[in-house]
Amino acid sequence: MRKKKRFSENKQINLLEQMKDRFMDRASPSTLRSKLFWETAIRISRSRLNRPEWKADRVSMSYFLKSTKDAYLQRGPVVWANLLVPSELIIGAGCIPFYPEMAAAVVASAGLAPRFIDRASEEGFSPDACSFHRCMLGCAVDGYLPEPSYLLSANYPCDSAPLSFGYISDLYGTPHAILDVPLPGRDGRGMLLAEQLEEAAREMAGLSGLTEKKLQKNMEEAVELSNTALHHLREVEEFRKSSDCTLDGKDTMGNISVLSACMGSRAGVDFYRLLAEELQERGNEGEDAIRIMWMHIKPWYSQKIFDIIENHGVRVVCEEYTHSCWEPMDPCQPYPSLASKLGGHFLVGPLERRASHLTRLARDYRVDGAIHYNHWGCRQSCGGAMQVKKALQDEGVPTLLLEGDCVDEREYQEGQISTRLEAFLESL
Amino acid sequence: MDEGKRIAWFCTYTPLEILDAAGLVPIRHFGDPQILESADTLLHPALCPYARACLAQEMREEGPHHAFFVNSCDAMRRLYDAWKDNFADDFVYLMDLPRNPGRRGEELLARELRHLIEHLEKTWGKVITPEDLRGAGKAREKSRLDYLSSTNGACGGDRLRIAMDIHTKPLQERTQVDISGGGEASGVPVLLTGNLLNPAGIITQLERAGAKVVWMDLCNGDRSFASPTLAEGEDLDELLASLATAYIERHPCARMSDARRRYDLLVDTTHEVGAKGVIYASLKFCDSYLYDFPRVEARLKQEGIPVLRLESDYTDGHVGQLLTRVEAFLEMV
Repeated sequence: MRKKKRFSENKQINLLEQMKDRFMDRASPSTLRSKLFWETAIRISRSRLNRPEWKADRVSMSYFLKSTKDAYLQRGPVVWANLLVPSELIIGAGCIPFYPEMAAAVVASAGLAPRFIDRASEEGFSPDACSFHRCMLGCAVDGYLPEPSYLLSANYPCDSAPLSFGYISDLYGTPHAILDVPLPGRDGRGMLLAEQLEEAAREMAGLSGLTEKKLQKNMEEAVELSNTALHHLREVEEFRKSSDCTLDGKDTMGNISVLSACMGSRAGVDFYRLLAEELQERGNEGEDAIRIMWMHIKPWYSQKIFDIIENHGVRVVCEEYTHSCWEPMDPCQPYPSLASKLGGHFLVGPLERRASHLTRLARDYRVDGAIHYNHWGCRQSCGGAMQVKKALQDEGVPTLLLEGDCVDEREYQEGQISTRLEAFLESL
Repeated sequence: MDEGKRIAWFCTYTPLEILDAAGLVPIRHFGDPQILESADTLLHPALCPYARACLAQEMREEGPHHAFFVNSCDAMRRLYDAWKDNFADDFVYLMDLPRNPGRRGEELLARELRHLIEHLEKTWGKVITPEDLRGAGKAREKSRLDYLSSTNGACGGDRLRIAMDIHTKPLQERTQVDISGGGEASGVPVLLTGNLLNPAGIITQLERAGAKVVWMDLCNGDRSFASPTLAEGEDLDELLASLATAYIERHPCARMSDARRRYDLLVDTTHEVGAKGVIYASLKFCDSYLYDFPRVEARLKQEGIPVLRLESDYTDGHVGQLLTRVEAFLEMV
């Protein structure tokens, strides 16, 4: 099974390699706006050789290729959003969601991030800022990202998006709205946030030409689809809690993009439904492994860390950002419901909420240890890493803080990371 | 001063009038830059050095460690988390601050102020009346006007010291800072903009290089006194609504969404004070100012105002190396 999986991973890497070799290294901004490019990319993705191992991944790949193609070809108003902005809102308003932080991860996976990070530096952006955002800014400055019709950022999880989107707003002359998510535990916070979400939805609907009635209907539909996806996601989570689940966290870490950008779409439902079905079909692997939790995000340009983890007979069984953290919503009350989803996220407010989410995951998934990947420049995550470590250690979960960068491969200190990681894994 | 009522504050969006009205003694914390690395066990080294310096100093001090934080940036929120974790028995409060101006931002902040008052009354047992708030507001406004008059003619380091003296002393115990030895400052007039600077750091090199810093758009400098926050209203609700509007509309920090208004203010002030150039100096790892610089630079270039960017690690051990760059800039302007 493991051999088969490795073969499948290699195939996926091949797709990226092929894309890079054929297009990306030589691609100009206009290439990305040509139908031929996207038709070819979609054809390559459908070829038998490049087919992802999991059926669910085929659904998400197909969705993202189509959605990105539509964004580049401007087949509708394109809305840029950051991680916590609910995609249901954008899809329900008839717009094309584009999450540039995820685009930066794709660029990093293709090994192209340094070029764009350097471009951002030329524009005056400091190397102390988050490389997801510097990469995104470099791409935007050079015209490699689809033009936004509207920018929507939330003031969580971090300061970067409201600030970097400000620059993008100047660059494209595009309106930028910031969602002020109030602190948890305050009276009227749900109403204040719901009003902001509704206002943003109306502005987006104005761009897409939806009538009031159609907007309400679309929103209800998006929330219903999101609820169904959540139902299947929870099924997936139950499978993953078993001691020898076949799904490895290093492969599911990319599902952060599904959780952020596909909720409210049919693809979101299909993705989690297929994943749950396939987990049931495949059954358990029949091998016991040492179980660890991964916190924050992984380096997108390299799998070396996970090779080391696997070689030590250790498995990533859960990840910080790919699990459900909200309740089913009321489709008839889309804005208060989405306000509750966004406002209740564990990254909103004081750190104790994040620490509590992580200790709950650690308990539910019975982890033997945890790794916090300290992405350089991420104040919200690294800033609280020490307290997260303390909270987990109080629960008896040994925790390693690993310094690195998710996007800029030049900041990956391989020797140091390997030594610290191996010592930690051996101690487990 | 009753030490038990002393409460540390950090961000200039702190509604000092409310803390005064509650009978507390708000004193701004500037931390000890020389020991900031000792906070590395609690806060990541790539976090705001001001936040780390404050925690480092507080960890070495006797309590009480009462503190008031504003949810103005990731660093302040993370400092609040670490503070609360370490000083669990003290009064440690986090107030939300919207980024958006306008009705929604004002409403959110007014609700926050109401929540704060309820929390203060519950914790400290003093009922805050409209009269208390009006009185505290007037005293703060007088202090602001005193700053503006006492700094008339003062430049650079002198000006910064007066501002920090007001921030770090109880309202009733201020001493006059002697600026008589400085005489009439000479040099190339420049405006300093950024977040917060160590008074013994960059500013001393600017003066050494021949700059006359005539205005400091810094949160420990002129910016914190640039706008009145005097609230008006009959009852507490009206007063809080008025106070929220005043804080939202004050001269903004780079974390607020109305960047264009801030750039307009910067350009206007540069002309008003007769500055020949702008020095953009900010603390490392401050995202609000890291992402802001390219936009400010573009706007200043458009206006024909020369700008030089400098960076501070708050200890400012490196500032001697900046002298040549500053001198070259001053020659150019």
